[in-house]
Amino acid sequence: MDQWAILRAAAAIAVAAAMDAVVAPYLDFGWFSPKFTILAIVFAASGLRHLQGILLGFFGGVLLDALGGGLFGVGAVGGLIAGAVSVRYGDVMTRGAARFTLSVLAGIAVAAYDLVQLAAYNLLGLEVPSLLGYTFSGMLPDAFLNALLAYLIGGLLLRTIRKDGSR
Amino acid sequence: MTLLVLSMMSLVLFTVYVREDETGPLHTVQLGAAEVLQPVRSVSGAVAGPLNSTKESVEGAFAKGGDLEKLREEARKNQELAAQASRLKRENDQLRELLNGQREFYQYGPLAEVVAPIGGQFTDRITINVGTKDGVGSQQPVVVGNNTLVGRTTSKVTDHTAEVMLVTDQNFRAGVRIVPPAEFDPASGELAPAVTEEETSYGEGLLQTGWEDYLGVGFVDLDARTEKGDFVVTSGRAGDMESLFPPGLLVGTVESASSQDIEQYKKIVVDPSVNLDDLEDVRVIVDW
Repeated sequence: MDQWAILRAAAAIAVAAAMDAVVAPYLDFGWFSPKFTILAIVFAASGLRHLQGILLGFFGGVLLDALGGGLFGVGAVGGLIAGAVSVRYGDVMTRGAARFTLSVLAGIAVAAYDLVQLAAYNLLGLEVPSLLGYTFSGMLPDAFLNALLAYLIGGLLLRTIRKDGSR
Repeated sequence: MTLLVLSMMSLVLFTVYVREDETGPLHTVQLGAAEVLQPVRSVSGAVAGPLNSTKESVEGAFAKGGDLEKLREEARKNQELAAQASRLKRENDQLRELLNGQREFYQYGPLAEVVAPIGGQFTDRITINVGTKDGVGSQQPVVVGNNTLVGRTTSKVTDHTAEVMLVTDQNFRAGVRIVPPAEFDPASGELAPAVTEEETSYGEGLLQTGWEDYLGVGFVDLDARTEKGDFVVTSGRAGDMESLFPPGLLVGTVESASSQDIEQYKKIVVDPSVNLDDLEDVRVIVDW
Protein backbone atom coordinates (compact mmCIF):
# COMPACT_ATOMS: atom_id res chain seq x y z
CA MET A 1 0.00 0.00 0.00
CA ASP A 2 1.52 3.31 -1.04
CA GLN A 3 1.79 6.45 1.02
CA TRP A 4 -1.05 8.06 -0.89
CA ALA A 5 -3.34 5.31 0.28
CA ILE A 6 -2.44 6.04 3.91
CA LEU A 7 -3.02 9.72 3.33
CA ARG A 8 -6.39 8.98 1.74
CA ALA A 9 -7.32 6.81 4.71
CA ALA A 10 -6.30 9.56 7.16
CA ALA A 11 -8.21 12.17 5.17
CA ALA A 12 -11.33 9.98 5.14
CA ILE A 13 -11.13 9.61 8.91
CA ALA A 14 -10.64 13.35 9.38
CA VAL A 15 -13.71 14.07 7.25
CA ALA A 16 -15.67 11.46 9.21
CA ALA A 17 -14.63 13.04 12.53
CA ALA A 18 -15.78 16.43 11.28
CA MET A 19 -19.09 14.86 10.22
CA ASP A 20 -19.44 13.32 13.68
CA ALA A 21 -19.04 16.77 15.19
CA VAL A 22 -21.22 18.70 12.77
CA VAL A 23 -23.73 16.39 11.08
CA ALA A 24 -24.21 13.47 13.47
CA PRO A 25 -25.96 15.50 16.22
CA TYR A 26 -28.83 16.09 13.77
CA LEU A 27 -29.10 12.35 13.15
CA ASP A 28 -29.22 11.48 16.83
CA PHE A 29 -32.21 9.23 17.51
CA GLY A 30 -31.92 8.73 21.24
CA TRP A 31 -29.37 6.01 21.77
CA PHE A 32 -28.76 5.54 18.08
CA SER A 33 -26.60 7.88 16.12
CA PRO A 34 -24.24 7.27 13.23
CA LYS A 35 -20.62 6.83 14.28
CA PHE A 36 -18.94 8.01 11.10
CA THR A 37 -15.43 8.01 12.54
CA ILE A 38 -15.61 4.46 13.84
CA LEU A 39 -16.99 3.26 10.50
CA ALA A 40 -14.30 5.13 8.58
CA ILE A 41 -11.56 3.69 10.80
CA VAL A 42 -12.77 0.14 10.25
CA PHE A 43 -12.83 0.58 6.48
CA ALA A 44 -9.61 2.59 6.33
CA ALA A 45 -7.53 0.37 8.60
CA SER A 46 -8.50 -2.88 6.90
CA GLY A 47 -6.09 -2.39 4.06
CA LEU A 48 -3.17 -1.27 6.20
CA ARG A 49 -0.42 -3.08 8.01
CA HIS A 50 -0.98 -3.95 11.65
CA LEU A 51 0.89 -1.02 13.21
CA GLN A 52 -0.39 1.49 10.67
CA GLY A 53 -3.99 0.40 11.20
CA ILE A 54 -3.78 0.56 14.96
CA LEU A 55 -2.09 3.96 14.97
CA LEU A 56 -4.61 5.29 12.48
CA GLY A 57 -7.44 4.04 14.70
CA PHE A 58 -5.98 5.57 17.83
CA PHE A 59 -5.29 8.99 16.35
CA GLY A 60 -8.62 8.97 14.52
CA GLY A 61 -10.25 8.37 17.90
CA VAL A 62 -8.25 11.21 19.46
CA LEU A 63 -9.46 13.47 16.64
CA LEU A 64 -13.02 12.38 17.38
CA ASP A 65 -12.49 13.29 21.04
CA ALA A 66 -11.05 16.69 20.14
CA LEU A 67 -13.82 17.65 17.71
CA GLY A 68 -16.72 15.89 19.36
CA GLY A 69 -16.63 17.45 22.79
CA GLY A 70 -17.29 14.23 24.69
CA LEU A 71 -15.09 12.63 27.32
CA PHE A 72 -11.51 12.64 26.07
CA GLY A 73 -10.07 9.15 25.82
CA VAL A 74 -13.34 7.41 25.01
CA GLY A 75 -12.97 8.05 21.29
CA ALA A 76 -9.31 7.06 21.49
CA VAL A 77 -10.20 3.66 22.96
CA GLY A 78 -13.08 3.28 20.50
CA GLY A 79 -10.83 4.14 17.55
CA LEU A 80 -8.14 1.81 18.82
CA ILE A 81 -10.59 -1.08 19.07
CA ALA A 82 -11.97 -0.29 15.62
CA GLY A 83 -8.48 -0.21 14.14
CA ALA A 84 -7.45 -3.39 15.95
CA VAL A 85 -10.45 -5.52 14.89
CA SER A 86 -10.15 -4.22 11.37
CA VAL A 87 -6.46 -5.10 10.88
CA ARG A 88 -6.83 -8.38 12.78
CA TYR A 89 -9.87 -9.75 10.98
CA GLY A 90 -9.34 -7.84 7.77
CA ASP A 91 -6.58 -10.36 7.05
CA VAL A 92 -8.96 -13.30 6.87
CA MET A 93 -11.50 -11.67 4.61
CA THR A 94 -12.32 -13.50 1.44
CA ARG A 95 -12.18 -11.63 -1.79
CA GLY A 96 -15.49 -10.02 -2.76
CA ALA A 97 -16.93 -10.14 0.75
CA ALA A 98 -14.95 -7.17 2.02
CA ARG A 99 -17.93 -4.85 2.28
CA PHE A 100 -20.05 -7.29 4.24
CA THR A 101 -17.25 -8.39 6.56
CA LEU A 102 -16.19 -4.82 7.26
CA SER A 103 -19.80 -3.88 8.01
CA VAL A 104 -19.99 -6.64 10.61
CA LEU A 105 -16.69 -5.46 12.08
CA ALA A 106 -18.01 -1.90 12.11
CA GLY A 107 -21.02 -3.08 14.12
CA ILE A 108 -18.73 -4.81 16.60
CA ALA A 109 -16.51 -1.73 16.88
CA VAL A 110 -19.54 0.51 17.48
CA ALA A 111 -20.82 -1.86 20.19
CA ALA A 112 -17.40 -1.74 21.87
CA TYR A 113 -17.33 2.06 21.60
CA ASP A 114 -20.80 2.28 23.19
CA LEU A 115 -19.72 0.05 26.06
CA VAL A 116 -16.55 2.07 26.64
CA GLN A 117 -18.63 5.22 26.69
CA LEU A 118 -21.05 3.73 29.19
CA ALA A 119 -18.17 2.59 31.40
CA ALA A 120 -16.54 6.03 31.23
CA TYR A 121 -19.70 7.83 32.30
CA ASN A 122 -20.22 5.25 35.01
CA LEU A 123 -16.66 5.74 36.27
CA LEU A 124 -17.32 9.45 36.62
CA GLY A 125 -20.42 8.80 38.69
CA LEU A 126 -22.72 10.31 36.06
CA GLU A 127 -26.23 9.05 35.41
CA VAL A 128 -26.20 6.04 33.09
CA PRO A 129 -28.79 3.39 32.27
CA SER A 130 -28.39 -0.16 33.57
CA LEU A 131 -25.99 -2.33 31.58
CA LEU A 132 -28.63 -4.93 30.72
CA GLY A 133 -31.21 -2.38 29.64
CA TYR A 134 -28.66 -0.42 27.64
CA THR A 135 -27.29 -3.53 25.95
CA PHE A 136 -30.66 -4.51 24.52
CA SER A 137 -32.25 -1.15 23.89
CA GLY A 138 -29.17 0.94 23.18
CA MET A 139 -25.99 -0.83 22.25
CA LEU A 140 -27.29 -3.67 20.07
CA PRO A 141 -29.68 -1.54 17.96
CA ASP A 142 -26.95 1.07 17.62
CA ALA A 143 -24.44 -1.55 16.49
CA PHE A 144 -26.90 -3.12 14.07
CA LEU A 145 -27.96 0.17 12.50
CA ASN A 146 -24.39 1.36 12.20
CA ALA A 147 -23.44 -1.94 10.58
CA LEU A 148 -26.29 -1.40 8.13
CA LEU A 149 -25.10 2.13 7.47
CA ALA A 150 -21.58 0.81 7.00
CA TYR A 151 -22.85 -1.68 4.42
CA LEU A 152 -24.73 1.06 2.57
CA ILE A 153 -21.82 3.50 2.40
CA GLY A 154 -19.11 0.85 2.48
CA GLY A 155 -18.67 0.75 -1.28
CA LEU A 156 -18.11 4.47 -1.41
CA LEU A 157 -15.67 4.31 1.51
CA LEU A 158 -13.69 1.50 -0.05
CA ARG A 159 -13.51 3.31 -3.39
CA THR A 160 -12.41 6.52 -1.64
CA ILE A 161 -9.75 4.89 0.46
CA ARG A 162 -8.44 2.38 -2.02
CA LYS A 163 -8.08 3.02 -5.67
CA ASP A 164 -8.82 -0.57 -6.67
CA GLY A 165 -11.97 -0.65 -4.44
CA SER A 166 -11.41 -4.17 -3.23
CA ARG A 167 -9.11 -6.12 -1.06
CA MET B 1 2.59 -4.45 22.73
CA THR B 2 1.58 -1.41 20.67
CA LEU B 3 -2.02 -2.10 21.49
CA LEU B 4 -1.22 -2.15 25.19
CA VAL B 5 0.77 1.08 25.06
CA LEU B 6 -1.96 2.88 23.14
CA SER B 7 -4.61 1.56 25.54
CA MET B 8 -2.61 2.97 28.41
CA MET B 9 -2.27 6.26 26.58
CA SER B 10 -6.05 6.38 26.13
CA LEU B 11 -6.51 5.82 29.84
CA VAL B 12 -4.00 8.55 30.60
CA LEU B 13 -5.88 10.92 28.29
CA PHE B 14 -9.14 10.08 30.04
CA THR B 15 -7.64 10.53 33.49
CA VAL B 16 -5.99 13.82 32.62
CA TYR B 17 -9.21 15.07 31.07
CA VAL B 18 -11.37 14.36 34.10
CA ARG B 19 -8.76 15.64 36.58
CA GLU B 20 -7.89 18.89 34.83
CA ASP B 21 -9.99 22.03 35.06
CA GLU B 22 -11.47 23.88 32.10
CA THR B 23 -8.16 25.64 31.38
CA GLY B 24 -6.31 22.33 31.02
CA PRO B 25 -4.75 21.32 27.69
CA LEU B 26 -7.36 18.76 26.64
CA HIS B 27 -10.28 21.05 27.48
CA THR B 28 -8.50 23.83 25.61
CA VAL B 29 -8.21 21.61 22.55
CA GLN B 30 -11.94 20.85 22.65
CA LEU B 31 -12.87 24.48 23.22
CA GLY B 32 -10.61 25.57 20.36
CA ALA B 33 -12.23 22.99 18.09
CA ALA B 34 -15.69 24.19 19.13
CA GLU B 35 -14.71 27.77 18.31
CA VAL B 36 -13.31 26.77 14.92
CA LEU B 37 -16.33 24.62 14.06
CA GLN B 38 -18.88 27.23 15.09
CA PRO B 39 -19.36 28.75 11.59
CA VAL B 40 -19.73 25.30 10.06
CA ARG B 41 -22.20 24.32 12.76
CA SER B 42 -24.20 27.50 12.14
CA VAL B 43 -24.50 26.64 8.46
CA SER B 44 -25.39 23.03 9.16
CA GLY B 45 -27.94 24.19 11.73
CA ALA B 46 -29.67 26.30 9.11
CA VAL B 47 -29.64 23.47 6.60
CA ALA B 48 -30.84 20.91 9.16
CA GLY B 49 -34.13 22.65 9.94
CA PRO B 50 -36.25 20.49 7.62
CA LEU B 51 -34.22 17.45 8.67
CA ASN B 52 -35.21 18.02 12.29
CA SER B 53 -38.89 17.98 11.38
CA THR B 54 -38.42 14.70 9.55
CA LYS B 55 -36.47 13.30 12.49
CA GLU B 56 -39.23 14.21 14.92
CA SER B 57 -41.81 12.55 12.65
CA VAL B 58 -39.72 9.39 12.42
CA GLU B 59 -39.17 9.33 16.18
CA GLY B 60 -42.88 9.81 16.77
CA ALA B 61 -43.78 7.03 14.38
CA PHE B 62 -41.36 4.59 16.01
CA ALA B 63 -42.21 5.61 19.56
CA LYS B 64 -45.95 5.14 19.25
CA GLY B 65 -46.11 2.37 16.72
CA GLY B 66 -47.65 4.63 14.12
CA ASP B 67 -50.89 5.33 15.93
CA LEU B 68 -52.57 7.38 13.22
CA GLU B 69 -55.47 8.63 15.28
CA LYS B 70 -53.20 9.84 18.01
CA LEU B 71 -51.05 11.66 15.49
CA ARG B 72 -54.13 13.31 13.97
CA GLU B 73 -55.21 14.41 17.42
CA GLU B 74 -51.74 15.80 18.06
CA ALA B 75 -51.82 17.61 14.73
CA ARG B 76 -55.13 19.25 15.66
CA LYS B 77 -53.73 20.27 19.00
CA ASN B 78 -50.60 21.60 17.36
CA GLN B 79 -52.66 23.73 15.00
CA GLU B 80 -54.54 25.18 17.93
CA LEU B 81 -51.32 25.74 19.80
CA ALA B 82 -49.74 27.39 16.76
CA ALA B 83 -52.60 29.88 16.60
CA GLN B 84 -52.38 30.47 20.30
CA ALA B 85 -48.61 30.80 20.12
CA SER B 86 -48.90 33.37 17.36
CA ARG B 87 -51.24 35.48 19.50
CA LEU B 88 -49.07 35.06 22.57
CA LYS B 89 -45.98 35.99 20.60
CA ARG B 90 -47.56 39.29 19.60
CA GLU B 91 -48.52 39.94 23.20
CA ASN B 92 -45.10 38.89 24.35
CA ASP B 93 -43.39 41.26 21.93
CA GLN B 94 -45.51 44.12 23.20
CA LEU B 95 -44.83 43.24 26.82
CA ARG B 96 -41.17 42.75 26.16
CA GLU B 97 -41.02 46.18 24.60
CA LEU B 98 -42.62 47.57 27.72
CA LEU B 99 -40.27 45.72 30.00
CA ASN B 100 -37.30 46.35 27.74
CA GLY B 101 -36.69 42.62 27.74
CA GLN B 102 -35.43 42.49 31.30
CA ARG B 103 -36.72 41.14 34.52
CA GLU B 104 -35.89 43.15 37.56
CA PHE B 105 -32.92 41.94 39.61
CA TYR B 106 -31.64 39.67 36.86
CA GLN B 107 -28.69 40.58 34.72
CA TYR B 108 -28.91 38.95 31.33
CA GLY B 109 -26.26 38.22 28.75
CA PRO B 110 -27.03 39.25 25.17
CA LEU B 111 -29.66 37.36 23.21
CA ALA B 112 -27.99 34.17 22.02
CA GLU B 113 -28.76 31.95 19.07
CA VAL B 114 -28.66 28.20 19.32
CA VAL B 115 -25.82 27.18 17.01
CA ALA B 116 -26.23 23.42 17.05
CA PRO B 117 -27.05 20.43 19.18
CA ILE B 118 -24.17 18.44 20.60
CA GLY B 119 -24.34 14.74 19.95
CA GLY B 120 -23.92 12.08 22.58
CA GLN B 121 -25.89 9.10 23.72
CA PHE B 122 -25.99 10.09 27.36
CA THR B 123 -26.26 13.85 27.05
CA ASP B 124 -28.72 16.45 25.81
CA ARG B 125 -26.77 19.63 25.12
CA ILE B 126 -26.59 22.50 22.69
CA THR B 127 -24.09 25.18 21.72
CA ILE B 128 -25.03 28.86 21.81
CA ASN B 129 -23.17 31.75 20.21
CA VAL B 130 -22.26 33.78 23.29
CA GLY B 131 -19.24 33.27 25.48
CA THR B 132 -16.87 34.87 27.94
CA LYS B 133 -16.52 37.99 25.77
CA ASP B 134 -20.24 38.54 26.33
CA GLY B 135 -19.96 38.12 30.06
CA VAL B 136 -21.18 34.54 30.06
CA GLY B 137 -19.52 32.10 32.44
CA SER B 138 -19.89 28.50 33.44
CA GLN B 139 -22.74 27.14 35.54
CA GLN B 140 -25.18 29.95 34.74
CA PRO B 141 -28.93 29.54 34.11
CA VAL B 142 -30.12 29.69 30.51
CA VAL B 143 -33.64 30.89 29.86
CA VAL B 144 -36.07 31.51 27.06
CA GLY B 145 -37.80 34.86 27.30
CA ASN B 146 -37.35 36.33 30.73
CA ASN B 147 -37.76 33.45 33.06
CA THR B 148 -38.38 30.07 31.45
CA LEU B 149 -35.52 27.84 32.42
CA VAL B 150 -34.17 25.59 29.67
CA GLY B 151 -30.76 24.63 31.03
CA ARG B 152 -27.45 25.85 32.33
CA THR B 153 -24.03 26.51 30.88
CA THR B 154 -21.40 23.84 31.46
CA SER B 155 -17.69 24.44 32.01
CA LYS B 156 -17.15 24.53 28.25
CA VAL B 157 -17.38 28.24 27.55
CA THR B 158 -15.13 29.83 24.93
CA ASP B 159 -14.80 33.47 23.89
CA HIS B 160 -17.79 33.22 21.58
CA THR B 161 -19.57 29.96 22.37
CA ALA B 162 -21.00 28.19 25.38
CA GLU B 163 -22.22 24.66 25.88
CA VAL B 164 -25.64 24.40 27.51
CA MET B 165 -26.86 21.35 29.40
CA LEU B 166 -30.62 21.21 28.80
CA VAL B 167 -33.06 20.39 31.58
CA THR B 168 -33.73 17.09 29.80
CA ASP B 169 -30.10 15.99 30.15
CA GLN B 170 -29.98 13.03 32.54
CA ASN B 171 -27.35 14.80 34.61
CA PHE B 172 -29.24 18.06 35.02
CA ARG B 173 -30.51 18.76 38.51
CA ALA B 174 -32.31 21.76 39.95
CA GLY B 175 -34.11 22.36 43.20
CA VAL B 176 -37.74 23.13 42.36
CA ARG B 177 -41.03 23.73 44.09
CA ILE B 178 -44.53 23.21 42.88
CA VAL B 179 -46.92 26.13 43.07
CA PRO B 180 -50.60 26.31 42.20
CA PRO B 181 -51.61 28.56 39.29
CA ALA B 182 -53.16 31.07 41.70
CA GLU B 183 -49.78 31.81 43.22
CA PHE B 184 -47.61 32.19 40.14
CA ASP B 185 -47.72 34.44 37.13
CA PRO B 186 -45.79 32.67 34.36
CA ALA B 187 -45.58 35.84 32.25
CA SER B 188 -43.79 37.90 34.84
CA GLY B 189 -42.33 35.10 36.90
CA GLU B 190 -43.70 36.69 40.04
CA LEU B 191 -44.58 34.41 42.92
CA ALA B 192 -47.61 35.76 44.70
CA PRO B 193 -48.07 35.32 48.44
CA ALA B 194 -49.90 32.15 49.36
CA VAL B 195 -53.56 32.51 48.54
CA THR B 196 -54.51 28.96 49.39
CA GLU B 197 -54.69 27.50 52.87
CA GLU B 198 -51.52 28.17 54.76
CA GLU B 199 -51.44 24.67 56.16
CA THR B 200 -51.25 23.08 52.73
CA SER B 201 -47.87 21.57 51.89
CA TYR B 202 -46.92 21.82 48.26
CA GLY B 203 -44.31 19.68 46.64
CA GLU B 204 -40.68 20.53 46.69
CA GLY B 205 -37.99 18.35 45.18
CA LEU B 206 -35.34 17.83 42.58
CA LEU B 207 -35.94 18.32 38.87
CA GLN B 208 -34.39 15.51 36.87
CA THR B 209 -34.85 13.40 33.77
CA GLY B 210 -34.72 9.68 34.39
CA TRP B 211 -33.91 6.87 31.97
CA GLU B 212 -37.65 6.31 31.62
CA ASP B 213 -37.27 9.42 29.47
CA TYR B 214 -39.56 11.90 31.15
CA LEU B 215 -38.84 15.12 32.95
CA GLY B 216 -39.92 14.76 36.54
CA VAL B 217 -39.61 16.04 40.05
CA GLY B 218 -38.08 13.58 42.45
CA PHE B 219 -38.15 13.37 46.24
CA VAL B 220 -41.57 14.98 46.65
CA ASP B 221 -43.27 13.86 49.85
CA LEU B 222 -46.30 11.65 49.49
CA ASP B 223 -48.45 14.01 51.53
CA ALA B 224 -47.60 17.06 49.42
CA ARG B 225 -50.50 18.56 47.52
CA THR B 226 -49.65 18.45 43.82
CA GLU B 227 -52.13 18.58 41.00
CA LYS B 228 -52.09 18.52 37.25
CA GLY B 229 -51.59 22.03 35.92
CA ASP B 230 -49.54 23.30 38.87
CA PHE B 231 -46.43 25.24 37.94
CA VAL B 232 -42.95 23.90 38.55
CA VAL B 233 -40.52 26.71 39.40
CA THR B 234 -37.00 26.81 40.74
CA SER B 235 -36.82 27.07 44.50
CA GLY B 236 -33.42 28.73 44.64
CA ARG B 237 -32.03 26.02 46.83
CA ALA B 238 -31.22 22.33 46.77
CA GLY B 239 -31.82 20.91 50.20
CA ASP B 240 -30.03 23.22 52.58
CA MET B 241 -27.65 24.50 49.93
CA GLU B 242 -28.07 27.44 47.61
CA SER B 243 -28.82 26.34 44.08
CA LEU B 244 -27.20 27.45 40.82
CA PHE B 245 -30.56 28.92 39.88
CA PRO B 246 -32.39 31.91 41.29
CA PRO B 247 -35.86 31.21 42.68
CA GLY B 248 -38.92 31.67 40.48
CA LEU B 249 -37.68 30.44 37.10
CA LEU B 250 -40.46 28.58 35.34
CA VAL B 251 -39.68 25.05 34.20
CA GLY B 252 -43.08 23.74 33.17
CA THR B 253 -46.38 22.46 34.45
CA VAL B 254 -47.26 19.26 36.22
CA GLU B 255 -48.53 16.79 33.64
CA SER B 256 -49.34 14.07 36.13
CA ALA B 257 -48.85 13.37 39.80
CA SER B 258 -49.32 9.93 41.21
CA SER B 259 -48.39 8.12 44.36
CA GLN B 260 -48.42 4.57 45.57
CA ASP B 261 -48.21 3.53 49.18
CA ILE B 262 -45.31 1.28 48.40
CA GLU B 263 -43.27 4.23 47.11
CA GLN B 264 -41.49 6.69 49.32
CA TYR B 265 -42.08 9.67 47.06
CA LYS B 266 -44.61 10.90 44.54
CA LYS B 267 -44.09 10.36 40.85
CA ILE B 268 -44.43 13.73 39.18
CA VAL B 269 -44.14 14.18 35.43
CA VAL B 270 -43.44 17.68 34.14
CA ASP B 271 -44.44 19.11 30.79
CA PRO B 272 -41.70 21.64 29.86
CA SER B 273 -42.94 25.14 29.05
CA VAL B 274 -40.96 25.27 25.83
CA ASN B 275 -40.21 22.70 23.18
CA LEU B 276 -36.56 21.98 23.83
CA ASP B 277 -36.07 20.42 20.40
CA ASP B 278 -36.99 23.68 18.78
CA LEU B 279 -34.97 26.28 20.65
CA GLU B 280 -33.78 29.26 18.65
CA ASP B 281 -33.01 32.22 20.91
CA VAL B 282 -32.03 32.00 24.56
CA ARG B 283 -30.43 34.21 27.18
CA VAL B 284 -28.02 33.50 29.96
CA ILE B 285 -28.70 35.01 33.36
CA VAL B 286 -25.21 36.15 34.30
CA ASP B 287 -26.08 37.59 37.70
CA TRP B 288 -28.96 38.03 40.08
